[in-house]
Amino acid sequence: MDLFGLTRGLSATDSALLILAVTIVGLLVVALLFSGYALLLRYRHAARERLREELRQRWEAPVLAAIADPDRIIDVHALVPRKYRLHFVQFVLEYVRRVRGAERQMLRRLVEPYLDDIAERAEHPRSEIRTRAVQTLGTLGLPRYSAEVLKGLHDPSPLVSMVAARYLARPEFPQYAPELMRHVHRFEGWNRRFLASMLATMGPEVSPMLRDGLLDEDRPTWLRGVFAEALRMQLDPRAADTAVEALEATDDRDFSASLLRLLATVGRPGHVDVLRTVSDADDEVVRAQALHALGVLGGAAELPLLFAGMDDPSPWAALHAARGVRDAGGVELLEEIAGSDHPQARLAGQVLFEEEQA
Amino acid sequence: MSELFWDVIWTLNYIVLFYFIALHVVYLGTSIFAFRALRRYALRLKSLDLSDLISSAWAPPITLIAPAYDEEATCVESVRSLLTLEYPEYDILVINDGSSDATLERLTEAFNLHEAHRVPTAEMGSEAIRGVYRSRRHPNLWVIDKENGGKADALNAGLNHCQTPLFCAMDADSLLEPEALIRIVRPFLEDARTVAAGGVLRIANGCTVRQGRVVDIRLPTNLLARLQVLEYLRAFLSGRMGWDALDATLVISGAFGIFKRDIVVGAGGYATDTVGEDMELVVRMHRYCRENEIPYRIHFVPDPVAWTECPESVAVLSRQRDRWQRGLFQSLTRHWKMLLNPRYGRAGLVAFPYFFFLEMLGPVIEFLGYFSFTVTVLAGRAHWPFVLAFLCVAIVLGIALSLAAVALEELSFRRYPRTSDLIGLFNLSVVENFGYRQLSAWWRLKGTFSALRGVEGWGHMARTGFKVDDGEEPT
Repeated sequence: MDLFGLTRGLSATDSALLILAVTIVGLLVVALLFSGYALLLRYRHAARERLREELRQRWEAPVLAAIADPDRIIDVHALVPRKYRLHFVQFVLEYVRRVRGAERQMLRRLVEPYLDDIAERAEHPRSEIRTRAVQTLGTLGLPRYSAEVLKGLHDPSPLVSMVAARYLARPEFPQYAPELMRHVHRFEGWNRRFLASMLATMGPEVSPMLRDGLLDEDRPTWLRGVFAEALRMQLDPRAADTAVEALEATDDRDFSASLLRLLATVGRPGHVDVLRTVSDADDEVVRAQALHALGVLGGAAELPLLFAGMDDPSPWAALHAARGVRDAGGVELLEEIAGSDHPQARLAGQVLFEEEQA
Repeated sequence: MSELFWDVIWTLNYIVLFYFIALHVVYLGTSIFAFRALRRYALRLKSLDLSDLISSAWAPPITLIAPAYDEEATCVESVRSLLTLEYPEYDILVINDGSSDATLERLTEAFNLHEAHRVPTAEMGSEAIRGVYRSRRHPNLWVIDKENGGKADALNAGLNHCQTPLFCAMDADSLLEPEALIRIVRPFLEDARTVAAGGVLRIANGCTVRQGRVVDIRLPTNLLARLQVLEYLRAFLSGRMGWDALDATLVISGAFGIFKRDIVVGAGGYATDTVGEDMELVVRMHRYCRENEIPYRIHFVPDPVAWTECPESVAVLSRQRDRWQRGLFQSLTRHWKMLLNPRYGRAGLVAFPYFFFLEMLGPVIEFLGYFSFTVTVLAGRAHWPFVLAFLCVAIVLGIALSLAAVALEELSFRRYPRTSDLIGLFNLSVVENFGYRQLSAWWRLKGTFSALRGVEGWGHMARTGFKVDDGEEPT
């Protein structure tokens, strides 16, 4: 063994010893580097905190004054040297989350001159920096920087596209809805409820697109399910008939369940026929949701079917059926069961208890 | 002595050397991955608007399942802390696992519990339910009183009564930080494949607790507890973060983890015949998802924190480590089919072999090494300068890895604000190499033999209680 010529002429044992000695020194250096790094991080963090505090004290009062009196915006800008522009935007960002209306508008005007610097960061090679830039522009720079935020929708980083979508999906910016709806299939990895909530927050402007999407067979089924959930969250009554149409044409479990939830929320008694058909589906999730919807929309006529559903082997279907019995006006029937030695006495007891708590 | 004997001894020496190198290569590797991952994570955190998430309807409802056994001293404080969590919609299910003390009475009194109905929605095996109670003051607080069956059994009872898509398994005596749930649920929002996520456990000994919240963080005064602080930093920030970066998380602590209910039910719930039910469940979830071709991810999330009390006496700590090792042994031997099996992806090819050979068999190899080394030295066959140099390498490597964990803490969360505590952690990185590491290895060896002998049970875990700052005695 010849360690870069160092061990030439040494015996094997001495060579091994030399290698171990070099390793020890190397590891000691590494250990010292780690502790030095930890200390450096501590020092750097403390220095940052000090600077942040100093800047806060410098800016807080003038910013509050400018919110009250727009003429004083110029005074604030005089207090923001070039090297602290990003700090200032960060400072305002923390405030802007706590205010609404005119105050928010004023804060947006305060940072306007500095947002070009942020827009440049939306092109940064590191996705975390791009995310932060898109978030800042989404909060403070729309609609002026809409191009940068919309570009975020196409970003290869899922985090950037998620943040961009969240900031574009706001009721005050209906103009971005079509673009967002065109790209929404990219968010397959997201939690469905999360995605549906985001679409729902865009408000009624987007409802017609969501309704069309329900029947659009070119769209993936998971996405149509998300549209159904979004329409449910929007309480869109016009979606009920579309949901029935879609329900009759699908055999996908999750999509059917979403449509049934939508029907339970916005459906009408006229829709019970289709619910009856689905209430004996093979899939327990579909059955459970159908029984739930039937209980909400149906009346006393549905009680026999719902009562039979209480014996469903799936505890979820049975629970929904029992709640359906209650919703369809069968409280007395439940009381009778709860007071007896009926196998579903506990289930009836729970539903009555829920009623009592409500 | 015969040549054969010395062949065996030298072979053992080489096995130990190989084990030592392999173990530290893995530690170093996970630390490097953790560095990269934590740096990125710290940046990502800046783009997270927690208040936005907390106030929105986007977060899925969660059920907290907290098994309690003889927790009359701490249960009220712990439940109070759970009631102050910042999360839009959650249920708390405290499972009174047949406590022999006044746990149920304390809870009834403190939260005005009354009998209620809650029908099971799953049929995971568990001991008989004696009663279901709900708080009049806090409608999201439920207490399920059942016959004693152990922690896994209690978790199964909770799982049977869980009605939300996600549940959080935790210890009734842990304190969750107010934002812990919203932070830990994030992987579930960002990636629909997520089936489980684990948070960080930190040691509350030495910290001050006010109204169920840790308000003043400092290193404990007890040396054993201080050493465990460093150990936890290494385990969570270097270890679990590194494994997460490799997408091969095999352990989620039983004190704080969040799971998709339907996947856990599908996988069969918690195993009641192991003391390592937390690890066993995660390993089984890997198997279940792979074998049923369910796309899945299991994450470790480094910023949601649960504070826990660690043992301060050698006797209690040794029992805890014995149990952990038995749990590890039971989990890995039960699922040995995963070992080096490509069907189970990185979990089977990377994480499982690491835990199997280096963590489970490690203590045995280590002690065989001590034996062969002692024999070599006593027989005068050891080359002293070489022996000393090797010992130095082992010690300095141990120090470097611990310091790396301290640096990771500084890089990411800086939970110990006092510089004296940082210096204290530096000192501990050196001190732990002289006695504590060897003791740990001994406890783990004992645990391995206990597992082989089929020893069961948790052993008594005496607790001293959190340092509470509201004019009360420690609970």
